[in-house]
Amino acid sequence: MKNFLLLILGLMSFVVLCCNRSVDERLTICFAFQDLETEFWVAAHKAITETLSDRGVRLIERNASEDANRQLEQIKDAIAQGVDGIIVIPQDGQSANTIIGEANAAGVPIAIFNRPPADSSRHAIVIVADNEIIAEQAVDYMVTQAARKNQKFTPCLVVGDLGDPNAVERKNGFYNAINKRPDLFNEVVQVPSKWNAATTLANFEAALQAHPEINFVFTSSDFLYPQIRAVLEPLGKWVARGNENHVILGGLDGDQYACSMMRQGIVDATGVQDLFFEANTLMDELLKAIQNGEKRPKKWITDSGFALTQDNLAERGQDMWGCTLLGEK
Amino acid sequence: MELRHLPKKVILSQHFVLYLSLTYFFILWLFMPYIANLRNLSNIASNMWPLFALVIGQMFVLIVGGIDLSQTSIMAVVSVLGGVLMSSQLDPALFAKSPLWGLCLSANGGVLSGAKIAVPLGLMIMLFCGLLIGFFNGLCVAKLKMPPFMVTLISMMFYSGLAIFLTASENITHLPATFIALGKGGFAFVTYAFLIVLILALVAHTILHRTVLGHWFYAVGMNIKTSIISGVPANRVLILAYMFSGFCAATGSILYSARLEGGRPTLGQDVLLDIIGAAVIGGMSLFGGKGKVIWAFYGVLFFTLLANSLNMMNLSFFTINIVKGSVILIAAFLDVVRTRIAAKERGA
Repeated sequence: MKNFLLLILGLMSFVVLCCNRSVDERLTICFAFQDLETEFWVAAHKAITETLSDRGVRLIERNASEDANRQLEQIKDAIAQGVDGIIVIPQDGQSANTIIGEANAAGVPIAIFNRPPADSSRHAIVIVADNEIIAEQAVDYMVTQAARKNQKFTPCLVVGDLGDPNAVERKNGFYNAINKRPDLFNEVVQVPSKWNAATTLANFEAALQAHPEINFVFTSSDFLYPQIRAVLEPLGKWVARGNENHVILGGLDGDQYACSMMRQGIVDATGVQDLFFEANTLMDELLKAIQNGEKRPKKWITDSGFALTQDNLAERGQDMWGCTLLGEK
Repeated sequence: MELRHLPKKVILSQHFVLYLSLTYFFILWLFMPYIANLRNLSNIASNMWPLFALVIGQMFVLIVGGIDLSQTSIMAVVSVLGGVLMSSQLDPALFAKSPLWGLCLSANGGVLSGAKIAVPLGLMIMLFCGLLIGFFNGLCVAKLKMPPFMVTLISMMFYSGLAIFLTASENITHLPATFIALGKGGFAFVTYAFLIVLILALVAHTILHRTVLGHWFYAVGMNIKTSIISGVPANRVLILAYMFSGFCAATGSILYSARLEGGRPTLGQDVLLDIIGAAVIGGMSLFGGKGKVIWAFYGVLFFTLLANSLNMMNLSFFTINIVKGSVILIAAFLDVVRTRIAAKERGA
């Protein structure tokens, strides 16, 4: 029995020794993300972790697996661990507020990446794309394509999780563009995605059954294209421009899949967030605040982005992060 | 006491998990001094109280030989209900598609928006909702003789779906400051969450060890047929166990919702492993008839300490889950070892 107890103590010490890293004097930043379910988040994660490592920053990563309470606990633990700064991709705008409040109370500078807090009263460095304008620009182009055809369109909007302010802005941008030409469109069919691939597939399939006339689709995120393709392809509607069954397609993010589909002429336009600009600017601002001893920096930075269309693809294709990554492969 | 008998004494002690937690903590302290700083200790405590409330409830059901998988969905429904009652402002763009919009939700918030009694009445209704769901679970198990696993699994699916349906999957914000204080506020180092769960623990302890009802819980869990022959109203006892579990789940939901400052339809989705894990580590038997409030506390203490230390070690989410799962397995194994040793001791 004595040996058994010693074995348990030995194992516990081993776990601690193996997992604990030696104390060092480098700057320590906690990077907490809600999950890495889309290509955009994966690419952002890569850009942030690699850049911080290159700059000699010790990085503590935390994955909340889409649980807001877990993310809050992770951030509180990181603060107790004495991190110098925090970068967060929050689960949603509301939980971002709570997390910023914890960091503010502890006097640890915090930066929010790409998903803004529900209200801006608390102190954080926030970088976010101008989703409404980017979406509007992409859909504007799609509308011009629709106007060239002598027919009425039934538009479909694949809506994101409306708890995420980005999703709300993308939805607004879509409607801003559509409402400029009410003569061209029937009533919009909305498909809730909740930023979930399985939900999107089920809902989009149901929408196409109820409205087989849908011929104009905008997805609030490019990562949902495979689900849209899974529904349109068997119907013979996943075809390039010029084909009479072509559905006018657009999205927002600017990932590799969208780039590839743009090049094949299947996607007409995509709103592009400048991922590398966002990641680098956020890190610069946070590191600057830490160096200046700012405990509660407050700054709101907007990524104006752009719309990549079939007309400017050759000229601006390489400005889209998805095309850059595709080119690296 | 002879020194060579010490390990056996320790492992058979009902405080074994406490000793284990303290040993683990001191080993960690050697390598990670910041684990003992005031802020981190406060984190461990604040993470413990809502989980402790849930484990106390689960313990009652485990004692009567059942299991309550629906605690997480009770948390979600209760959290949403609290939001629907107490919110003071809602965005029509987000909630217009909710089936409750126009009925009990509007741009001005929920039903009790702005009322002086909003928080106390809201809390009472939330707790009553937990009791009611627990009552239906217990009724199905006791009267319809349905397997607890099946009943509570179905409840889990139904109420999780209901919470999402009612809010069109949106979080309900703008809750009263007094409600939010329940999850964050307190007097100096004593938080409201601690006080609430302390009262709950004392009530649970009193029921289990100072009342006839408490003895009935154990009797039903050890052997339901014998307990019925002995005159124990087994059905009522079973229903009460599930009701208490629902009540505790509602309490946990209140504390989690308050600390997250919102009613969340997805609240608690990932917390089931923590509840069952802490209960098993604490020494509760999945076969019934065994469990104490103090064991639940030890289990929660060890589990929270483990989660906190794994976070500090900068491990990935998946590694953390693997370690947690392994620890639960070891705890279950240790329980078997302890039971065998105890049986041998009695035989000798």
